[in-house]
Amino acid sequence: MQLESILQQRFGYSSFRSGQKEVIEQILNGKDVIALLPTGMGKSLCYQLPGYVLNKTVLVISPLLSLMQDQVDQMKLFGEKRVIALNSFLNKEEKNRVINGLEQYRFIFISPEMLAQRQVQQKLNRIELSLIVVDEAHCISQWGFDFRPDYLRIGEMFGTSRSPILALTATATNKVLEDIELYLNMKEPFKYIHSVDRPNIHLSKMSFSNREEKLEWLFQHVSNTAGPGIIYTQSRSKTHSISETLLQNGISAASYHGGMDLLDRQFIQQQFIEGTLDWIVATNAFGMGIHKQDVRQIIHESIPSNMANYMQEIGRAGRDGNDAVAILLYSEHDEELAKFVGIDDLPLEQHVDIFEEYQRNGQDATQMLKQGEISETAFRVLNYWMEQKTPNEVKTIFQNMKIEKMQKVEEVMKLITSDTCMRETLVHYFGQTLNDKPEQCCINCGLDLAQLLIAKEEKNLSSFSMTWQERITNLLTKKS
Amino acid sequence: MIFQQIIWQIFHKLKEERTISAPFHLLRGKRSGQTIQDVGIFHLHQYFGILPKLSRKKYDEEINKLIEQNFITVFENGDYTLANNFISDNLLPFDGWHYRGNEHLFFARLSLIVQSLSHKEAGVMAFIPIQKDPQVQKWVRNFLISNEYQGGTLQQQLLNEILISLEQAEADTIVKEVLIKRLAGYKIPGYTWQQLSIYENKDEMDIQLLYISCLHTWLNIITLNEKDFPLLHKIAEDIRIHIPLSDSAFQTAQLFKEGHSLENISQYRRLKMSTIEDHIVELAMNDPHFSINQFISNEEMEQVLTAVEDYDTRKLKVLREILPHLSYFQIRLVLARGDTTSAT
Repeated sequence: MQLESILQQRFGYSSFRSGQKEVIEQILNGKDVIALLPTGMGKSLCYQLPGYVLNKTVLVISPLLSLMQDQVDQMKLFGEKRVIALNSFLNKEEKNRVINGLEQYRFIFISPEMLAQRQVQQKLNRIELSLIVVDEAHCISQWGFDFRPDYLRIGEMFGTSRSPILALTATATNKVLEDIELYLNMKEPFKYIHSVDRPNIHLSKMSFSNREEKLEWLFQHVSNTAGPGIIYTQSRSKTHSISETLLQNGISAASYHGGMDLLDRQFIQQQFIEGTLDWIVATNAFGMGIHKQDVRQIIHESIPSNMANYMQEIGRAGRDGNDAVAILLYSEHDEELAKFVGIDDLPLEQHVDIFEEYQRNGQDATQMLKQGEISETAFRVLNYWMEQKTPNEVKTIFQNMKIEKMQKVEEVMKLITSDTCMRETLVHYFGQTLNDKPEQCCINCGLDLAQLLIAKEEKNLSSFSMTWQERITNLLTKKS
Repeated sequence: MIFQQIIWQIFHKLKEERTISAPFHLLRGKRSGQTIQDVGIFHLHQYFGILPKLSRKKYDEEINKLIEQNFITVFENGDYTLANNFISDNLLPFDGWHYRGNEHLFFARLSLIVQSLSHKEAGVMAFIPIQKDPQVQKWVRNFLISNEYQGGTLQQQLLNEILISLEQAEADTIVKEVLIKRLAGYKIPGYTWQQLSIYENKDEMDIQLLYISCLHTWLNIITLNEKDFPLLHKIAEDIRIHIPLSDSAFQTAQLFKEGHSLENISQYRRLKMSTIEDHIVELAMNDPHFSINQFISNEEMEQVLTAVEDYDTRKLKVLREILPHLSYFQIRLVLARGDTTSAT
């Protein structure tokens, strides 16, 4: 069957977006594929469509619980029933039931950690997979070494005679692409590399001598210009304080971070999509999988910890293709905090010594976790590397990671300090060249924010003052 | 502020006879012999397990606020004294003993049902469920099917039940608004705790306590009136705990009722004698029909109750010194029964 007709029948689109067809054809030919497609370019179609052609199970390895859940919800929404997320929402009983009947699903979403479990491995070995997808594959490089080592194990888990792997990402440097190929044990993969540039996102920046001035500007700016927008900041507590100040100034805002009540996160998403909420104040954990097409502004109150994160975060603006603005704010010494946050969770030299000490005494090293001598993340990472290398090598590895993380902050600093084109700097960072500059490219090329942004309109928040009787009646009866 | 009042109230009821951590374990609903017995001895049923997820950090923060305001003084060994100037009237009603966090399951079911019916009413049959727990989803699916949601009258019935039953609940209008604002539907998003806290100008924790209190009050109305509120009663299925015994205590109770001695049960279950005694105390506390006369005479019971009054203490060690002919177990049994025994 023609791919176009399946596209039309299954998904209701009349034509492919750029890259989709090339990627799908290679997959159907049984080749490993690495695809770099910018956010909003329909990455998930690249594995969904083959799922219907090949008619065997597609396994999708996905980094975040919320992202996984979101993808499953989306697919169910469009009528696919044979889809499951194997994650911690399932209790033990359900998990066993799902694993036992795993072959009946067309799409299985799973985290690398769950994938590493023996029970899951054994079952998967007995199922014929048509395709293994590693979604957000830059996580291998971004998280594998210092945060979630199971990412580095994906390749070895499937052995040599495996189904083709599709690695999908929106942001990857050449180094990251190499890591993906190496750690997934890919065989001469076909690479589809789309330009990372998003011409409809216009780039700006502002520098201040202290944090107070920066916040003052932020509040002014948000009071005067229209959203919808996302403000990125470093910590959960900052998301709270900034959103509270905005709310007190009559701006519809809410904080959003990983530590929130699950129901609250959905309320925020729904409010944002319905348009009752104008601004979300988020930590970086936010956003993979938010489906708002018309985000007009992304403001970084704190500088991001690396260029890849910055690209991901601004990529959430302007998915509808219309103009959007990304503003990077900086006040003096911000980079120091960014560096500190970046290395805060890395294991220290002394942790390596303690780990060794436990092992030498024939004790289980998890003791150090129970004794509160190390954070959970740091222990996971330490444990992985201690399995692979000698203690001294491990110390060197952590030392290098620390240096590397600090360098990555310095790279972001170049965006702040340099007066070369911001878009060019970004695109070059990913090892690509910029062919065309859009009008109003960036502040260094000349940019008039006033032309791109519209003034804020007064909003009526009348729905909040409804009585409870009115609200429940509205919820349950047809609106006339 | 509400949260601090609750902690202070618990301290007050504990009569300065427990450590600074006792309210923490009580609020989280810790199922240890000590906490469960304290519930009986000091009549703390209402606060048991109202905050199963309370973090130690948050608790310590609130304790520090109480200390800073001199409402409470803590000594190095964990003892404390209360100042008498923090009298809080209008205490929120709770029924933690009978719900223990299950009220959240009730609300999860209700919110998914409301979301489903709201979309049904709008003619939109595909939506992303707001509750992700597969068990809740399954429960709601069965509920909707068995109540013939396609017929189109279910939403009106449910609406009427909610309007009437919630009206009856004795809670501030503001609190009922908070409760309903946590529901969402077609093109009507819910409100987050942060938003509710800012709009109502109260701490997030206090807003959540108001919400839990209102749910308990409402659930007590619903569970007592199956006839008037059949749908809500169904949604509250298995939410209220009828036999509030721990599993292990329940097993001991069964064996004891079958006529086995405590020693036999201890051997048979391979549990320490003291554990079996804990179970019997738990049983005495929860089952008013359970006679403790098989362990202690009426006269001895009177002695314990008199000692409690005369010396104004419920400290086991002190009571044992006053009544050396009684065992700790016997004294605990009387304390577990508390005032109910003297009334009969």
